[in-house]
Amino acid sequence: MATFSKTKKPKKTDDRLGSGAGASHLSRAFRRLLRKKIAIAMIVALVVVYTGGIFAEWLSPYGYTDQNYSDILEGPSVDHWAGTDRLGRDVLTRTLWGIQNTVILTMVAMLTGGVFLGITLGLVSGYLGGKVDAVIMRIGEVFASFPDILLVIILAATLRPRILDGARWLEDNTALDGLVRTGVVDYLVVSIALVAFGWVGMARLVRGQILSLRETDHVEAAKAIGASTKRILFIHLLPNSISIIVVTVTMGMGALTGTEIVLSWLGLGIQPPRPSLGTMLLGAGNIGTLRETPWQLLAPGGAAFVMVLAWNLLGDALNDVLNPRTK
Amino acid sequence: MWIYIVRRLLWLPILLFAVSAVTFTLGTFGPGDPVVVQLGARYDEETADRLREQLGLNRPVLVQYGDYMWGFIRGDFGESLRFRGRPVRELIAPKMWVSAQLALAALIISVGVGLPLGFFLATRQGSWIDPTAVAVALFVMSVPIMVTAPGLLWVGCLKLGWVPCSGWGGFFDTRIIVPALILGLPGIAGMTRLMRASTLDVLGQDFIRTARAKGLSEWSVSSRHVFQNAMLPIVTILAFSVAGLIGGAFIAETIIGIPGIGRFAVESIFDRDYPVIMAITLVGAGAFVLANLLADISYAFIDPRIRIT
Amino acid sequence: MKKFAFVALTLVAIAAAACGGDSGDVAIVDPTPILSDSEVAQSQETQGTEESTSQATTEVETSKEIVSDAITEAPSGGVFRRVWSDPPTLDPALVTDTTSSGVVVELFSGLVALSTDLQLVPDLAESWEISPDGTVYTFTIRADATFHDGKAVTAQDFKWSIERAANPRTASPVADTYLNDLVGIDDVLEGRTTEIAGIQVIDERTLQFTIDAPKAYFLAKLTYSTAYVLDRENVEAGGSTWTDNPNGTGPFSLKEYRIGERIVLERFEGYSRGGNGVDTIVMNLAGGQQMAMYENDEIDLTGVGLFDLERVLDPNEPLNSELVVAPPNFNISYIGFNAQMAPFDDVNFRMALNHAIDKELIANEVLSQLVTPAYGILPPGFPGYNPELEGLKYDPDRALQLLQDSQYADPATRPRIVVTVPGRGGTIGLDLEVILEMWHQVLGVEVEIQQVEWATYLEDLNKQKFQAFAGLGWEADYPDPQDFLDILFHSNSSLNHGGFSNAEVDALLEEARVEPDAVKRVALYRDAERLIVGDAAWVPLWFQGERHVLIKPHVKGYRLTPMIVPKLTQVRIEK
Repeated sequence: MATFSKTKKPKKTDDRLGSGAGASHLSRAFRRLLRKKIAIAMIVALVVVYTGGIFAEWLSPYGYTDQNYSDILEGPSVDHWAGTDRLGRDVLTRTLWGIQNTVILTMVAMLTGGVFLGITLGLVSGYLGGKVDAVIMRIGEVFASFPDILLVIILAATLRPRILDGARWLEDNTALDGLVRTGVVDYLVVSIALVAFGWVGMARLVRGQILSLRETDHVEAAKAIGASTKRILFIHLLPNSISIIVVTVTMGMGALTGTEIVLSWLGLGIQPPRPSLGTMLLGAGNIGTLRETPWQLLAPGGAAFVMVLAWNLLGDALNDVLNPRTK
Repeated sequence: MWIYIVRRLLWLPILLFAVSAVTFTLGTFGPGDPVVVQLGARYDEETADRLREQLGLNRPVLVQYGDYMWGFIRGDFGESLRFRGRPVRELIAPKMWVSAQLALAALIISVGVGLPLGFFLATRQGSWIDPTAVAVALFVMSVPIMVTAPGLLWVGCLKLGWVPCSGWGGFFDTRIIVPALILGLPGIAGMTRLMRASTLDVLGQDFIRTARAKGLSEWSVSSRHVFQNAMLPIVTILAFSVAGLIGGAFIAETIIGIPGIGRFAVESIFDRDYPVIMAITLVGAGAFVLANLLADISYAFIDPRIRIT
Repeated sequence: MKKFAFVALTLVAIAAAACGGDSGDVAIVDPTPILSDSEVAQSQETQGTEESTSQATTEVETSKEIVSDAITEAPSGGVFRRVWSDPPTLDPALVTDTTSSGVVVELFSGLVALSTDLQLVPDLAESWEISPDGTVYTFTIRADATFHDGKAVTAQDFKWSIERAANPRTASPVADTYLNDLVGIDDVLEGRTTEIAGIQVIDERTLQFTIDAPKAYFLAKLTYSTAYVLDRENVEAGGSTWTDNPNGTGPFSLKEYRIGERIVLERFEGYSRGGNGVDTIVMNLAGGQQMAMYENDEIDLTGVGLFDLERVLDPNEPLNSELVVAPPNFNISYIGFNAQMAPFDDVNFRMALNHAIDKELIANEVLSQLVTPAYGILPPGFPGYNPELEGLKYDPDRALQLLQDSQYADPATRPRIVVTVPGRGGTIGLDLEVILEMWHQVLGVEVEIQQVEWATYLEDLNKQKFQAFAGLGWEADYPDPQDFLDILFHSNSSLNHGGFSNAEVDALLEEARVEPDAVKRVALYRDAERLIVGDAAWVPLWFQGERHVLIKPHVKGYRLTPMIVPKLTQVRIEK
């Protein structure tokens, strides 16, 4: 079959030199990237937003459930930079915590699904070929055949109760306590659902790369001198695929962030009282709010926007830099 | 080539079988008993058993599955549980039609803006307008639908009064404008980038140089040779664009109030209406796989350099 | 069930999913209940704030005028447009929710009905007699009663319809609740026979019901759609989708039903029981932004949610003149406790949780007075409502003391507490979010929230698997205290989801079932209610507050009733 990934297929690099060349190509590319103003701006934006989310606990001025009934639906002010909601909670605080959820979930899903599972399976599939390849690719095709949002919804809806029961059991039978309240169950459910289809695109991409690299001279040479399979895969093949992987991951993060927000908008993500961007957008996604208390919609909407935009623009810039042929 | 196509076609039913098995298993062993939903709060064991028998839900799972698939092949998707006794096909067909029209309208916007823009940008490579336009398109793509939907409605319907605030009146009705924009605008970025890359690819090729060398006018070169050839790979990406519209459709159809399949799917999932969920997933997967297949095949025809493994 | 449904509050919170049945509906009528004894009537006058009562009264007067006009005038014609959601069923025997009910009562009808003033009025029966011992009801059917196709309605039709509803093959979830007073009903419900012994056809137009005991609320139960008359040929010919072309007896016939899109009702020309106004009712089922649709003149009526309330209440806003403020629906929302499960098996613990919630604060500050704090079970204005009931008011010191007195004072040994809510979105309701915080602040009690979809929720609720549950409301089916207290708290009731059991309460409820004297009955129910509240069986949360609805000025005669009753026939469009 033709190699085709869901994300736009970046052009193959012409760089098929030795293993060391992969790294220097990357560092050269990085220097070129730094010359792009948009890329710099996006990296800064990502750092700011992600720092805000990850350190929400220390950065946010209030607690995310702190309710203040004398400050209900206040507009932005010195005390509340992004105003308050109907329970007098600080919208900025809730947005930061919402970002944290999105950050954790998308990172976990990307690292386990896209990066770990996707690359490993892609490598194995491409290098070993034959039956292993067929099985992995066919399974991937099944997953990729689902309209993915539907699959995630079904998975999330059917998984949660099971995992919840498991977590309760753990709490009751071990010294662990407060496990359920930390929301760890929701994290698990959503990441499993996201991982389930997240690996396919990456696996196909890496496989395609390996297929085209496998026959190159230096791999042949490595084989001839008796290098082990593992060594060939990780020392000779993987570094040459790095640029494509980096672009795919970056662009994938934007899409994944969007999916996570849709999921929690549908009520399948992080559960209250923990705030999430999706639920905040659900509560505020109507004309009435936009007219009367727009900060309730614009704060979480803006955060989501910045994250998705930054990943997309960065991915675009990386693509230009790493795949010079299209430039 | 033909062997490849036949092989892909043979693979189709196997794929659908796998998809249906996964959906059926998740549905059957997932939580939430459809009988209970149907009976509502006034549930009692006896009525539930009677209903289960009536609906055939007390038979072994494999038998239920076999029955279902046999029906599916003959175009009978079973009966909805939520709307008791109503054939699923009758329920989802009009809604799929609505969503299909909406998707088409959205695609027209994505493609109609994206292709010319991408082409234009490729010919202006290196000027300031190129990165700026791509950035703007990405900008539009990144605004969450939950913000654009009420925003567009507010401005378009209440402030300006150009379009109605809700509902559906078919493809040639003004009511399609807002949802089509909401779904179509984000797609522009992808189309533009793809067309731009594709055009650059074509521009670098020998036959263009030949055409220029023959002394053809720049306009003629652009329109006849570059544009046409650059468009070919785009065909293959359309299938994926449609898949991308599904996620947006859930939200847009709910916020704006469109009787489409996205809204219906969400409702059915929450009401545990398995026959409907199964049918939507299977039909969706089937359409998706077919589109995929067409894309792969057309790609193979367009660009014989692509190796078929 | 008319009505375990998501409560209005939850709906307001999930405005995106909008349009939950009649949630936007508003009553302009002050309810005069069936139990029209002086004491009850008095209790109604004392309820509510001055302001709301006077406002309501004005509205009543205008609408009454219009209605009386409507009967004499020619039909106004025109179209009445509103948002509705997909009715789960249109089969009168299967109706369990307000969304279905609102359509079914316009398409079908029964022997008796509730008027828009919630008076029991004759519908297809022109009169009835009750035997001296109160157990035999003899109805005479109107001579001009016909189905939509012109066929006359006979006593035999009624007998067949009710027996069909009770037949196990119909699998009606509600037949048992609404028809169980008829003699011999159990034999049919359990499938031993198909004919109900307590229903006798005397002649074409005379029908006799025998019930097992003199029950004051029997006639009221007949207003529920399980006792409506159906056309046997129509039902049998139509198979499982007979409701696509229902041949009913109601004021409207079903012209079009496209699932997820719209329902169109058309006036039945042969309807002769008063009221003839609008020709066509269009119910938009696709949802959307109701407020925007109203402002853009796409619908004629919309409820005003929290998001828009402030703006609409502003007298400078043009919409303000179209605002109708009306008394609430008869419903209550609550947090249920499972009295059989730790820690809710300890009455002190339950009471502590009750005393720790400042409902006044939530109602006033957070919910913009869209709700009234509930301290009892029966809603204001409902028969038997007790304005003097103190209930468990906000009292943090007492709450802490009660917690100390309970056997679950020590957090280390206290079992995990999970409150389950039904939901489709990620929001659990504003009120619940505040309550969690109050329990945390006042008592230091930590509670987990578990949100499950409606399906699982109902399943586990019926199996009494929940420790505590919220997000539920109960709405009146018929104006009788039995509908709340007996159905929800009798230890044998299948809807007593918390397994509440108090022998004294049971005794009072059983006595009230057959008490013929209306005043004494009310007294019995009030005693039972006091015990239930004192035992902290629930945290009663809210009675619905005044409802805010916008109605276009060209729509006249739309009566916003606190319960679902047939009323669209009185709507007139005057453009």
